[in-house]
Amino acid sequence: MLKCTFCGRRAAYNRRYAGVLLCDRCLIKSVEKRFRRAIAEHKLLSPGERVAVAVSGGKDSIAAMHLLVEHCGRKNCELVAITIDEGIKGYRDQSLPIARENARSLGIEHYVVSFKRTFGATLDQIVRRAKARKTELNPCTYCGVMRRSLLNQAARELGADKLATAHNLDDEVQAIMLNYVRADFSRLHRLGPSYPPREGFVPRIKPLREIPEKEVALYALLRGLEVHLAVCPYTGGIHTEIRDFLNQLEANHPNSKFMILRMFDRLKPQLAQIVPEFEMRRCKNCGEPTSANICKSCELLEGLGLERRQKTLISY
Amino acid sequence: MTCIKIVVKQVGKRHKRELRLAPHATIADLLRKLDQNRETIVVRRNGKIVVEEERLSDGDLIEILPIVTGG
Repeated sequence: MLKCTFCGRRAAYNRRYAGVLLCDRCLIKSVEKRFRRAIAEHKLLSPGERVAVAVSGGKDSIAAMHLLVEHCGRKNCELVAITIDEGIKGYRDQSLPIARENARSLGIEHYVVSFKRTFGATLDQIVRRAKARKTELNPCTYCGVMRRSLLNQAARELGADKLATAHNLDDEVQAIMLNYVRADFSRLHRLGPSYPPREGFVPRIKPLREIPEKEVALYALLRGLEVHLAVCPYTGGIHTEIRDFLNQLEANHPNSKFMILRMFDRLKPQLAQIVPEFEMRRCKNCGEPTSANICKSCELLEGLGLERRQKTLISY
Repeated sequence: MTCIKIVVKQVGKRHKRELRLAPHATIADLLRKLDQNRETIVVRRNGKIVVEEERLSDGDLIEILPIVTGG
């Protein structure tokens, strides 16, 4: 039996990038400490704020909600949860009740915003339309753009001061690499622990950004939280290739993910000098903030012969 | 030298598999054999989450939980 480096109990995790073994209790304590440190270091939350947390029902967002509820209790913040129901049969319909049940057990108000009600089509239907029209766009493009837009709109309608998402270290490093591969300076520049306030946008915060995906999963499992662990049926494409590459790199060379993140964080101030500032406008179709005449969601919907059906999103 | 016999259950797959491994084999050896990246899974040995460097024993039940779920 291998023992925890710190307390001598049975080890549950080998944190190879730091050369230490952790037992269940020390892993839980360590994750909670990193979460608090991220909030303090990057000033992600202030006392008395109203925080909306995006909760899918997966391990990351459920862990984030549990961590936030404890933090908000101490800092006198108010927490509400938002789930985007994209309409992915056999996937989201299974995770949504888990999100709802976790929010209920924590006493958090929980709001559901659906693609079907807002856009008139589920993601499954959108993907079928996209295939029929040969748009050559990947399901993650539709899902990512539309989900982000709805999350922002819902958080704003709920009067949130901050929108917390459960992006972990792996998510952030994958996004960095993806934007490198695509040479997308603008999107690369937007990455970071928080996104500054701009008109129409609720500032986003990522308190799990410096916690590896495996540690977030272990935190949820070791705490016995109810989470949805199924794989999204639309997983694939370049995102998956980059994820697999990074996981192989980390397995062979522990600490690689943190090094990529650290390098990016040091380069980020330089990026500000080459990414032009853009003027914020209102989308002609839906009124949401955008840098163009119409927002990306409306542009994607138009390409499919769809449009936003309703402007107020919130339902229970 | 006699082999050890273990049962492997990969969560999300229906069937359990019985595998024979060399004595003193570790969970990490098993993962290599199954072509599983340790970054993407959590391992339970007889119901307990353990580190991949633990040595396996005859009769162990190993559950492999995939943790990478998003797109």
